[in-house]
Amino acid sequence: MISVLDALVTGLVYGGVYALLALGLTLQYGVARILNLAYGDFLIAAALLTTLLFQRYQLSPLVALLLLAPLSFLIHLLVYHLVFVPLERRSGSWRAMEASSILLAFGLSFVVSGTMLAIFGGKLFSYSYLLVPVQLLGSVVPANRLLAFVLAIAFGALAYLLLVRTRIGTAIRAIAVDPDGAPLAGIDVRRWAGLTFAFGGIICAASGVLISMFQTFNVPMGITFTLKALVVVILGGVGNAVGALVAGLILGVTESFVARFVSPGLTLAAVYALFILAVLTLRTGILGRALR
Amino acid sequence: MRSIARTVTLPALLFIAALVPLAGNDFYIALGISILMYATLAIAWGLFAGPTKYIGLATAAFFGVGAYTVGLFYEKVPMLALYPLAAVIAALLALIVGLTTLRIQGMYFTIFTFGLAELIRQLMTWYQRSVTGSVGLYIITDVTARQIYWALTILLGLTLLGGWLLARSRYGLALLMIGEDELAARHSGVRTTAVKVFTLAGTSAIMAVTGAIVAPRWTYLDPNIAFNPTLSFMPAVIALLGGMQRFWGPLAGAIPLVILFDQLNARFPTAYTLILGLLFMAIVFVIPNGILGLLPKLERTRTTGAGLTIPAAWTLSEPLAPATPVRSASPSIDGTSGPVGKLSSHGSTLLEVRSLRKTFGGIVAVDDLSFEVREGEVFGIIGPNGSGKTTVLNLVSGLYQPDRGEIVFLGHKVTGKAPEEIARFGIARTFQLVRIYPALTCLDHVTPAALFGGHARSLTDAREQARQLLEELGMAAYVQVPAGQLNFIDQKRLELARALALRPKLLLLDEWLAGLNPSEMLIGMELIESLRGRGMTIVLIEHLMQAVRRLCDRCIVMSFGQKIAEGLPDEVLRDREVVRVYIGEADDA
Repeated sequence: MISVLDALVTGLVYGGVYALLALGLTLQYGVARILNLAYGDFLIAAALLTTLLFQRYQLSPLVALLLLAPLSFLIHLLVYHLVFVPLERRSGSWRAMEASSILLAFGLSFVVSGTMLAIFGGKLFSYSYLLVPVQLLGSVVPANRLLAFVLAIAFGALAYLLLVRTRIGTAIRAIAVDPDGAPLAGIDVRRWAGLTFAFGGIICAASGVLISMFQTFNVPMGITFTLKALVVVILGGVGNAVGALVAGLILGVTESFVARFVSPGLTLAAVYALFILAVLTLRTGILGRALR
Repeated sequence: MRSIARTVTLPALLFIAALVPLAGNDFYIALGISILMYATLAIAWGLFAGPTKYIGLATAAFFGVGAYTVGLFYEKVPMLALYPLAAVIAALLALIVGLTTLRIQGMYFTIFTFGLAELIRQLMTWYQRSVTGSVGLYIITDVTARQIYWALTILLGLTLLGGWLLARSRYGLALLMIGEDELAARHSGVRTTAVKVFTLAGTSAIMAVTGAIVAPRWTYLDPNIAFNPTLSFMPAVIALLGGMQRFWGPLAGAIPLVILFDQLNARFPTAYTLILGLLFMAIVFVIPNGILGLLPKLERTRTTGAGLTIPAAWTLSEPLAPATPVRSASPSIDGTSGPVGKLSSHGSTLLEVRSLRKTFGGIVAVDDLSFEVREGEVFGIIGPNGSGKTTVLNLVSGLYQPDRGEIVFLGHKVTGKAPEEIARFGIARTFQLVRIYPALTCLDHVTPAALFGGHARSLTDAREQARQLLEELGMAAYVQVPAGQLNFIDQKRLELARALALRPKLLLLDEWLAGLNPSEMLIGMELIESLRGRGMTIVLIEHLMQAVRRLCDRCIVMSFGQKIAEGLPDEVLRDREVVRVYIGEADDA
């Protein structure tokens, strides 16, 4: 019984982080229309930098987050305008653009992970931060995980409010719904799509920082994070923030249960099973209608 | 002469390649194996991704499956039986991938394949840990490097042959249509899902056999080797560098890239992935159409030569200039244009729609709608914007699934059938906003409909039918012109030709006259009349009351998804309620 509870709590903690992770990706895909396959690699980059800052300068991950968020914003903005905009200008049909942007993102993922591999190789990284046990719902959780969960939910909620409650958020949602119609309402699509892509980059970096606080990782794991984020996005419905939260929690709990009761080697299989389920049954995500 | 030269080149190259091991230099054999392996993988990848633009990222998964088939079974099963076994396993895997994701948008396919290699790598690792106890296995066989080299040469030859046959077959054309406009392809009667899934399965099987052939080379195999992401990436890079306009295009990319990577890997082993990524991005930007795209000559010989065998879909270099003025002669299909008499004694019921309902979220687009269309009549659906007319057409043509209600065509229930099946049943349609493939010639638009609609026996036959139809519609001059260069009425005519090529029993026209200028409109109306003269049953959505009066035998009026009037056009248009909804909207009429 205790183990079920443990698995559930662990799953929820992971799920919260997955939800945040997916929120960044869904913004990038839903608004900027770019299937960013390098997402997980950027996430690992943030996690790696946090680890280095902690190990070499004893810098708290939270301080690292303050440094990395603007940095990631800038890098993603540059990537959008230097890599994807020229491509969009050049290609004729939308399908052609989609195909080449996917390939380009795939290439980008190799560039990002390749850079890290060249410097650090494939070794594992981790550091111990806030490793104190906390009693929660009759289960024991390390404080770092709890903090990561709370922050993930807080960041997610903040991003959601920005989208729903502000003028800028409204413009961004307009682009998500109809990129051709948005300019007619005076919205500079390219500008806001770029900023949204970069904002997704902030969320990506934040997720990376949070994950580094409690999980051991290495560079090749970028692919798995991209995949998990994508599955959560699909499960929750593209552009649906609340759906992403629910789907993230489902994924986290499923993974945790499979790892605990079946085999840790089959977690990715569980992710895929959820993915297939999502694709076969719920085209618009678990909460029905998607935002766009 | 040139065609002979073209046909002989590839086999000759393969033959020369097959002689290399006789020189006996181990270095060249090793390099040759790499080149042949990546060339085969890249061609297989390009056969699917090139025309359809569905980007699969799972080459490593299929390759690894092949390698592992050998690794796990080589002691129990003879080597030669392992190749077909690997092919079958990979094809089954591809079938699962395809049936899950290829029925819907391309994105899901890409995502699914993106993680597939990683998934199978983990599954394999888990299996070996829990069943055999150790990750990795040894493959000790007496297969020599030369044998591997020759086996790969044969496989490459077969792959090229397959690609050549595919490119000339109807399925090659279908794949191209899918890449250009999948929906229009389905309404032309192309069973897109089946075409995609089978092509994917076939190309995946080739990747697996490549893996199976190469596996003995390694002697030690573990999941990280067999499912290395680079194996998914390299073929894409190679195919892109070579160009995918032709099935053999990736071949042109394989030789320089594999040699380059061989050098890079030896000199900068740590920065290898980084360089690979940078190089790939550079290729996407600098030569998006690959090496093939740099050969303008090649495009020309094909487009003006044999008509269309695999048209240069992405880069038409020398299109014919279309004459722009609207032709004055009205294109009468059979000489019997003009009114046929409105009080025609129409035959049996062709289409019956019963209590149809369709909602989008909270909006009821079609609400309990019933009507009948009789054989030989022109049936109008009119109503203000947003009253659900196009939704009705989309329901009848299979694009949408109704929430409730039935659609019966020729006594068969067609509710819920896929667009391609409905097209094959004999219901053809045009689109409110024309859906054409700008890069393909007019002939290429019409041919698939003739072919997949189930009437033409061969590609040649279909092309002949398409040509005739275009001529009948007064478009003889444009047969080889890319559709993107036509003016608006000709694009509409082209859509009509595509619909007619299905030899439909029922034709659905969605505001076919909209956007035409007054003189074009007259031509358009005469065209529709001539179709009716030929006995065609037509359902048309129209805003122009003048056209409705002239063309329709009967019509219904829709408002907010409901039928508010039905009868002869003149009566219906006098109806008070109808006038109210129209004036209220103050839109057309």
